[in-house]
Amino acid sequence: MLNYLEILDRANDGPYMTEENWDLEKVSMTAKRLVKKYKLAWNREEIVVDDGALIDAIWQAGYEMAVELGAYSRSTERIIQLSQDEIDSGIRNMPQSIVMGEGKDARTLYARRPGDERAPLFFGGTPGTPVPEDLFMLNVMSYMQEPLIDLATCGTLTEIDGRVVRTGNPIEIVSTRRELQYMRQALTRVGRPGMGMLAAQSSVSELGDLAAAQSKYLRSCDSHLVPLLNELKMDHRNISRAVNSLEYGMINASLPCVIVGGLGGGPVGSAIVNVASYLVANITCLADYHILHPIHVRHVATSTRDVLWVISATAQAFARNAPAIIVADIYPKSGAGTKELLYEVAANAIVNAVAGGHLEGVGAADGLKPNSTGLEGRLMAEVALASHRMKMSLKEANAWVLKLLPKYEHVFGLENGNPGQPINELYDAKSIQPKDEWLKIYEEVKTDLKEMGLNL
Amino acid sequence: MAEQDFFHSIAQAVIDGDTDAATESVHAALDAGIDPLLVLNQGLMSGADEVGKLFEQGEFFLPELMLAGRALKAAMEVVKPVLLEKYSGADSQVKGKVVSATVQTDIHDIGKNIVSSMLTAAGFEVTDMGVDVPIKSIIDKAEEVGAQVISLSALLTTSMPFMKDLIDLLEARGLRKKYIVLVGGASVTEAWAKGIGADGTARNAADAVKLARKLMNS
Repeated sequence: MLNYLEILDRANDGPYMTEENWDLEKVSMTAKRLVKKYKLAWNREEIVVDDGALIDAIWQAGYEMAVELGAYSRSTERIIQLSQDEIDSGIRNMPQSIVMGEGKDARTLYARRPGDERAPLFFGGTPGTPVPEDLFMLNVMSYMQEPLIDLATCGTLTEIDGRVVRTGNPIEIVSTRRELQYMRQALTRVGRPGMGMLAAQSSVSELGDLAAAQSKYLRSCDSHLVPLLNELKMDHRNISRAVNSLEYGMINASLPCVIVGGLGGGPVGSAIVNVASYLVANITCLADYHILHPIHVRHVATSTRDVLWVISATAQAFARNAPAIIVADIYPKSGAGTKELLYEVAANAIVNAVAGGHLEGVGAADGLKPNSTGLEGRLMAEVALASHRMKMSLKEANAWVLKLLPKYEHVFGLENGNPGQPINELYDAKSIQPKDEWLKIYEEVKTDLKEMGLNL
Repeated sequence: MAEQDFFHSIAQAVIDGDTDAATESVHAALDAGIDPLLVLNQGLMSGADEVGKLFEQGEFFLPELMLAGRALKAAMEVVKPVLLEKYSGADSQVKGKVVSATVQTDIHDIGKNIVSSMLTAAGFEVTDMGVDVPIKSIIDKAEEVGAQVISLSALLTTSMPFMKDLIDLLEARGLRKKYIVLVGGASVTEAWAKGIGADGTARNAADAVKLARKLMNS
């Protein structure tokens, strides 16, 4: 395996290229050429792809892109070239199982496949969503207390003691440590102190991440994010996150948020970029597992037809060709307190689980507002487990999604979105239980899903 | 070749994002004696408008938008000196000068790139400073190029405070009235923009162009 310091050398000494040329002449042109070469197309009525040849061609195209392009260092404007042997070695070294957390709360994440006998695991929380300090404990505990939730994640603190948090400012150190203190307290309060976390979400630059790498905050059995920037780019800040994990031993979750409609073009090109991103992230992000979180160029949400297609195609491409641990985010358009949110979660959960991913969510309301609660986290797990119990095939999963889309697709045309309400309006803050009104909506949707034939 | 055919070729080259074809077709039109103002408005801008529409409709993606912006910029270099020669004050054909940047600590560029490309396509002269740009540098650049508009982007909630810091710094330097300050990003709302003293925000790139045009004319 490549010595990571070699990455730093290549970022300093690699061939020079402007960022615009990287974006257009490397990423965009290569995606366009590979789509043409393999004659790839997507079908908006076949969201959960059931075509092994198509999936394998996407894998092959993504592999070729990774070998041809490597990564780009935004800090030095140089290309970090990676050889085919190094990409192959990265594939061979992808962990097939990882233990997160400790003691009785520890869970083993593993590389899943479609039709896997083993059920997916669930990260509960609203990853990266701005959450005010006064709602933070309520928000994270509402997820952690759910019996079906296996692992914890959280939002980003935007204020500390009434002071606005600025990225890269010393206050980021305080906010990230405060986040971890709250997380550890919250886990203790719900009686699951050993639960593994994907946290330090308040660390937007490397500053908080470095400050939180202590057993008092982020344990070595927890994970943190090492982003790969759009598209196929690193910078010194994110390289620092990976370097810091070398000796401390934190679990690295790569985060390439490929933009569907961005530099890769449409869904097919974006799936190719997503496959290439993981192959590059194996090396540049020292990824132990990968977050699957494509973003729609206009709607953001992961529940649009084209983004669901990219999720399905990417997860299957790895499951069929090089099993990896993939955790698929759910970021719906709608927020808590709305029916549409629950239908978006249901569609996303089926796609993510059946395609071979573990699940993380819910970043409700596009992850822009603190309008998320543990109740939709519960539904995420219930629906995914139902699809697993039913041994849902790819074809059946597609039929389910096509039935669910009409129940929420209208939200993408709403001028002001469908943000719902903050958690303190939907949960009782003392008992940390959903209020009747929100519980009633959840029960109605659950009944509807059962009547539609889901084995909940 | 009729005038309309020249305009069509120019517009199509912009739509295709073909820099060589765009500059060649502009040269051909000017060599044929066509008024540079018509070349600009009925050729280049017509193509740019179409690109913007296709992007909004989901027919075009970011690469097409960026390639069109690149073709337009190259073609403008050809037509601009001819315009300047023929019309005194032809700089006024440029709708305004914009300095665009994602503010310091934020490295997200897609939204900013879309807005910069759409503003360029709409005839603004855009200096795109990239991402993670210190607020002092943004102000210095605006002064250097004689911009009228400062367009700021931030996706991260914890980077948004730097937009307010920039406005405060403009005030402190006595420069606030010189600039239209537009702010944008997924978490930026009208109320927030107003609260920090910005001149406006827009929900998407097309609305950002409309807002910039409106504020420039007010």
